[in-house]
Amino acid sequence: MAEATAPKPSSSVKLVLLGEAAVGKSSLVLRFVNNDFQENKEPTIGAAFLTQKCNLPTRTIKFEIWDTAGQERFASLAPMYYRNAQSALVVYDLTKPTSLIKAKHWVAELQRQASPGIVIALVGNKLDLTNETSSSNPLGEDGDGEAAEGEDADGDARKISTAEAKSYAEEEGLLFFETSAKLGTNVTEVFTAIANAIPETSLKGARGPGASQASAGRTEDQSRVNLTGPRDNASKEGCGC
Amino acid sequence: MFNLSSLVQKAQSLIDPTQALNLSASDRNPAKSTLFRHQFRLPDSQTPLQEITAELTISPPIQYSPNATQGEKDRDRDRGYHYAGKLHLSESYLCFSTQPTSFLQTASTSTSSGFTGQTHGAGPGGNGFTLPLCAIRRVERLHSQSYQFALAITTWNGISNNSANETSKTPAYQQKITIQLAGSRQACERFCDGLKRGLKSGVGDVGKLKRVVAECYSEYLLQGDGKKSGEPPDAGLGMLFRYPGDARKLRDRSKMRLWGEYLRENGRNVTLIRQPTFHKLIRVGLPNRLRGEIWEQTSGSLFLRLEHPTQYAETLAKYEGRDSLAIDEIEKDLNRSLPEYPGFQSEEGIGRLRRVLTAYSWTNEEVGYCQAMNIVVAALLIYMSESQAFFLLSTLCDRLLPGYYSTTMYGTLLDQRVFESLVEKTMPILWEHLVKSDVQLSVVSLPWFLSLYINSMPLVFAFRVLDVFFLEGPKVLFQVGLAILRINGEELLDATDDGAFISVLKGYFSKLDESAHPTSTNAKLRAVTRFQELMVVAFKEFSGITQSSISEQRMKHKDTVLNSIESFAKRTSIRNLGPDSKRLSTDDLGALYDRFYAILYERQMRSQMIQEETERRMKASKARAAEVVNGLGETQSVEKGRVGLGPSPTLMDYDGFREFLAGIARWAITDSPTPPEKDPASDRDKHSYFGNSVRRREVSLSPWGAGNPEPADHEFMQRLFRRWDVDMQNALTLQNVVTGIAHIKGKGDIMGSITYFFELYDDDGDGKVDREGILRISEALLFLSRRGLEGSLTPSTSMTGLSEYEAGNGGQTDGPQGTTNERFLSSVSAFIRRCFEYADPDHPQNQEAPGDSGHTDTPDPSALDVGEDSDEEEDLLDLGPEASPKRGKKSTGLPSNPPASGKQENGNQRSVSKAQAEAANAALDPSKPLHITLPTFRMVVLADELLEQFFESSFPASFRISDKLTPPGPASSSSSLTTFSNIGFNRASAASSQAASIVGSSAAGVVPPGKGLRGVLDNIVTDGMRVAAEVRRRMDEAQKELEKNAVHRPGDDEEDEEEGYDGTHTSSTYGGDAERRSVRSEDRDLLEGADAEAMSIRGQEGVSEVKTSTLSPTTPTSAEPGRARSISTATQKVVEFEQ
Repeated sequence: MAEATAPKPSSSVKLVLLGEAAVGKSSLVLRFVNNDFQENKEPTIGAAFLTQKCNLPTRTIKFEIWDTAGQERFASLAPMYYRNAQSALVVYDLTKPTSLIKAKHWVAELQRQASPGIVIALVGNKLDLTNETSSSNPLGEDGDGEAAEGEDADGDARKISTAEAKSYAEEEGLLFFETSAKLGTNVTEVFTAIANAIPETSLKGARGPGASQASAGRTEDQSRVNLTGPRDNASKEGCGC
Repeated sequence: MFNLSSLVQKAQSLIDPTQALNLSASDRNPAKSTLFRHQFRLPDSQTPLQEITAELTISPPIQYSPNATQGEKDRDRDRGYHYAGKLHLSESYLCFSTQPTSFLQTASTSTSSGFTGQTHGAGPGGNGFTLPLCAIRRVERLHSQSYQFALAITTWNGISNNSANETSKTPAYQQKITIQLAGSRQACERFCDGLKRGLKSGVGDVGKLKRVVAECYSEYLLQGDGKKSGEPPDAGLGMLFRYPGDARKLRDRSKMRLWGEYLRENGRNVTLIRQPTFHKLIRVGLPNRLRGEIWEQTSGSLFLRLEHPTQYAETLAKYEGRDSLAIDEIEKDLNRSLPEYPGFQSEEGIGRLRRVLTAYSWTNEEVGYCQAMNIVVAALLIYMSESQAFFLLSTLCDRLLPGYYSTTMYGTLLDQRVFESLVEKTMPILWEHLVKSDVQLSVVSLPWFLSLYINSMPLVFAFRVLDVFFLEGPKVLFQVGLAILRINGEELLDATDDGAFISVLKGYFSKLDESAHPTSTNAKLRAVTRFQELMVVAFKEFSGITQSSISEQRMKHKDTVLNSIESFAKRTSIRNLGPDSKRLSTDDLGALYDRFYAILYERQMRSQMIQEETERRMKASKARAAEVVNGLGETQSVEKGRVGLGPSPTLMDYDGFREFLAGIARWAITDSPTPPEKDPASDRDKHSYFGNSVRRREVSLSPWGAGNPEPADHEFMQRLFRRWDVDMQNALTLQNVVTGIAHIKGKGDIMGSITYFFELYDDDGDGKVDREGILRISEALLFLSRRGLEGSLTPSTSMTGLSEYEAGNGGQTDGPQGTTNERFLSSVSAFIRRCFEYADPDHPQNQEAPGDSGHTDTPDPSALDVGEDSDEEEDLLDLGPEASPKRGKKSTGLPSNPPASGKQENGNQRSVSKAQAEAANAALDPSKPLHITLPTFRMVVLADELLEQFFESSFPASFRISDKLTPPGPASSSSSLTTFSNIGFNRASAASSQAASIVGSSAAGVVPPGKGLRGVLDNIVTDGMRVAAEVRRRMDEAQKELEKNAVHRPGDDEEDEEEGYDGTHTSSTYGGDAERRSVRSEDRDLLEGADAEAMSIRGQEGVSEVKTSTLSPTTPTSAEPGRARSISTATQKVVEFEQ
């Protein structure tokens, strides 16, 4: 049980990682959990399970991370892992257009099949392969594939423009980040944002010692309010089935 | 509503209860040969030919002594071990087992599958041997007093050593086994004859045998002590990079010694005899260098290798340099397979892994490569050569872990479900706890099964599990898994979430080498490691978990698992259909998906069945000559094509497309009678339809399956197919079909429909359709409308006048549908004419051509109303009298004079043709090529209200996807249901019954009033098609004439032709094509039209026997309609019976 000196409530959040093979799911987790990066990671059979705490100003979130196998045929196992997940990280490789298509499929699948109200973050990984810094994207237009390809000319491996992915994310009410597991760019931010976006209400039934206290910590933080807006819409759609 | 669950039901009959996952195409009575192969781990080529009760005597190895007296030989036999059991003979194996299993056709399933029960550690083969016939050197028949029939078998034990020091020399260890046959003299003789034949054919394989055993480490091990020659055979990477674990701690040396003794006495590799010590030795763990060989032996992959010793190398050579998706996936994982083992940090180890995985991916492209295979193969490669690992991987994927690595991984998911249910059964408290704390067991246990505990337990222990697994089979995985949970039960009960649950087990696995009872005062007990404890719990406490109990559970859960996979696949697939699919509703997409895959599945099953049937017939005739017991020879066939089971066909060929259309559109069902091929008994027997009982039954070899409506084959359908086949691969994907349907159904605007239709006929895409195309379009319009039109075609005011006119003429008021049909026919006639009228000449000098027709040629659409009316009138004048008298006659059921009416109709028909001819006169002139453009086509269509409605609603509506086909009229609704065996194809059956109802009622229409309409109208439509045909024919003739005569005189020609056709030209020109008969033969058709239709139903329904005389015998018109009527009434009777 939490001591008196540490009144911050703590709760567990189940998070599942989905995405095409070799987009860097396991690497993102490894960066988040161990702050490490390996070129050759062991393959994920079924799914790997890891945990990591995320400290927020008002509470502590313990992520129970299910890192799933990316190979296409493992897709039919996915429902087993995203079952009861409160959050999901759908990862694509921003140098590989097919991976965004696959990511969209996963988003649709989650919105229809996963627990209603699941917090989904769309993450474009391998930012290190592009020649731009952080999020300053010269491209102004929204989601124009042709325009994005035009960028290639500068020796940039990027194939999916920030704007394209972002507009899709906004449309679907997803959190959106571009990361580099290799360099560590934006990795912790993704998990923190998810932690913030998890509504208190969905923590009520959470397992673990912090569960009962979670409901007590009612302090709201700004970012969460902002972020929940679109997601709630998405979850309503998700309830449809 | 059709859905996949009906497939599931059907699949039930395919599943073999004892080998649930092998999915042999057998019903509840699994193929004996499959069971036989499973018991002795034999390749698929083997079937049980003979069996006999026998006693096996194994004497200690004797020095070869040719001079031994008979008495000495008898003494030898008395010494040693005796086992009573069964001796089995297959094509190239002689197997002995203490299991009293029998594979005779007469044996009950339980006798044949006895080996799947408790094996007491002996594995399915029990004690005994599995001896390739080529490994038998000599068989002597012993004469003794105590046994009537005794055989002494000398094997090629140690054959590879022989070759080293010349064959003439006597082997150091000669293996001789004695078998006493128990049975009648005749039975014994028969068995010996079979054996003799097998031995003869086996002689040729001795070379293969030598080659295969040379790769076995035992051959090297058992070479004469001290004088080992040559390099030891490859016993895995362990020889180069050391074997995992501490050899001393594993007591490898003493294990090796024990095995050396055992093999010396009991034969090695192919000649090995399994005695109880063998199983005990396996339980304590195999010695490193023999491990690979024993795995190969116990799993049976050795026999696969014996069958094709060079397959591995050949496969690699054959596909050298080729690329595939599997290879890409393999490459990604090579560096991360057992990376802790030094062998896989080297290029040598990685190279071997790459080659084995690649070779397998080529031999089984359906499986290709699945993650986890890399780990399993890496583990195998530590102990065996590449070739050995390759065959063992095949055995794993095909037999031991069926479906585990398939593209849907259904085997994995199913076994997880089975494991959960076993936990629930054996550890209810733990199970309840798991449910309560919402821990999903399979997320923990899935990797155990998928990678055979290799990356869960420390390697040394995982290999101990594998030792037993290869001997005893998949049940070992379950037993070990249950034991793990049982041992950790208390701690697991404290774990309340996935994380805690996983960490308890992780902790346990890391301490497997520690003492299980560290605090015990008993030193012996203290020495027991946790792993030993695990083995004891697994095989003692859970000895009740047998292969048959697992199969039973697999059977139970198979449907649920497959359904969930399929619904996942469907969901994913539909979601991925792209933007065009948005035009259709989700229900429609779901229905299209189901229908598409159902047809592919159905077609595959059917072709497989037909093939099997053909093979069976061939075999049956051969078998008689070769004295092979019939029924034993059937090959194991696997249930294929089901989405949940892995890769299924995804392309639909043209025939499949026709079948697909026949299921969703009425017009796509053929009119021609299908031969009444079905025997009623087989139709009733729905369940065995797909079962392997097929082999005992004559099956219909119809490519459409018994009872399914035969699809039509019209040029329009070919065009549609080509249009949908955007990838030009002569086959359609689901995507193509959805896009195709979406373009027709989804647009919902008439212009789109018209354009679509026009484009179908614009072959070269130049925006022009020529004369030929116009005729084809009109033919297609009639083809599409010949079963009536879909949607509500409302009679308009302008038409009412005509109807009245017609009504006045015929003295008969029609229902709206009837009027519509007639009107549609005239619309089409008018369509042809207008097309020609407004067609653009291809050359300017022909500009004048349309004027010759003598009709209004005002291209102004506003003026069309006038022109149209006159056109219609003219047509109807021709058609009206023809149709009405017939209708009147038939609806009243009064007899009329057949010749008279025939003449009358003939006259009418001729006048129609004449009108047509005149109308199209100029247009028909082949010297004036012409075409219509899309705007013209559109104008012509829009000029006619009916055609307009056709394009606006009825054409799109004729594709019925998820909206049900309109319930067929009660009179004939279930006629098809009773006689069609459509095995779950409700949709198809609905469609067919619908079709039958239309045709049926047309037949019935000969007599009952009110129903006559349909039949008449059908005739009219058919006539319409003839009209089109006639126009076409005339064109051809005109062409011919033109070629013949330099001077062209169209009018006269036409008249002359007309006369000519009444005569001999008819049959020669149009013989064989029912729809293109000429006028004279038409006369008869008109009379007998109803009968022709009736014939077609009869063919479709297979009720030809139901020729009753229960009906009114007054059918004075002719005998034919009477029969038609009787059939229709028979159909009605059936319906009543049904209701």
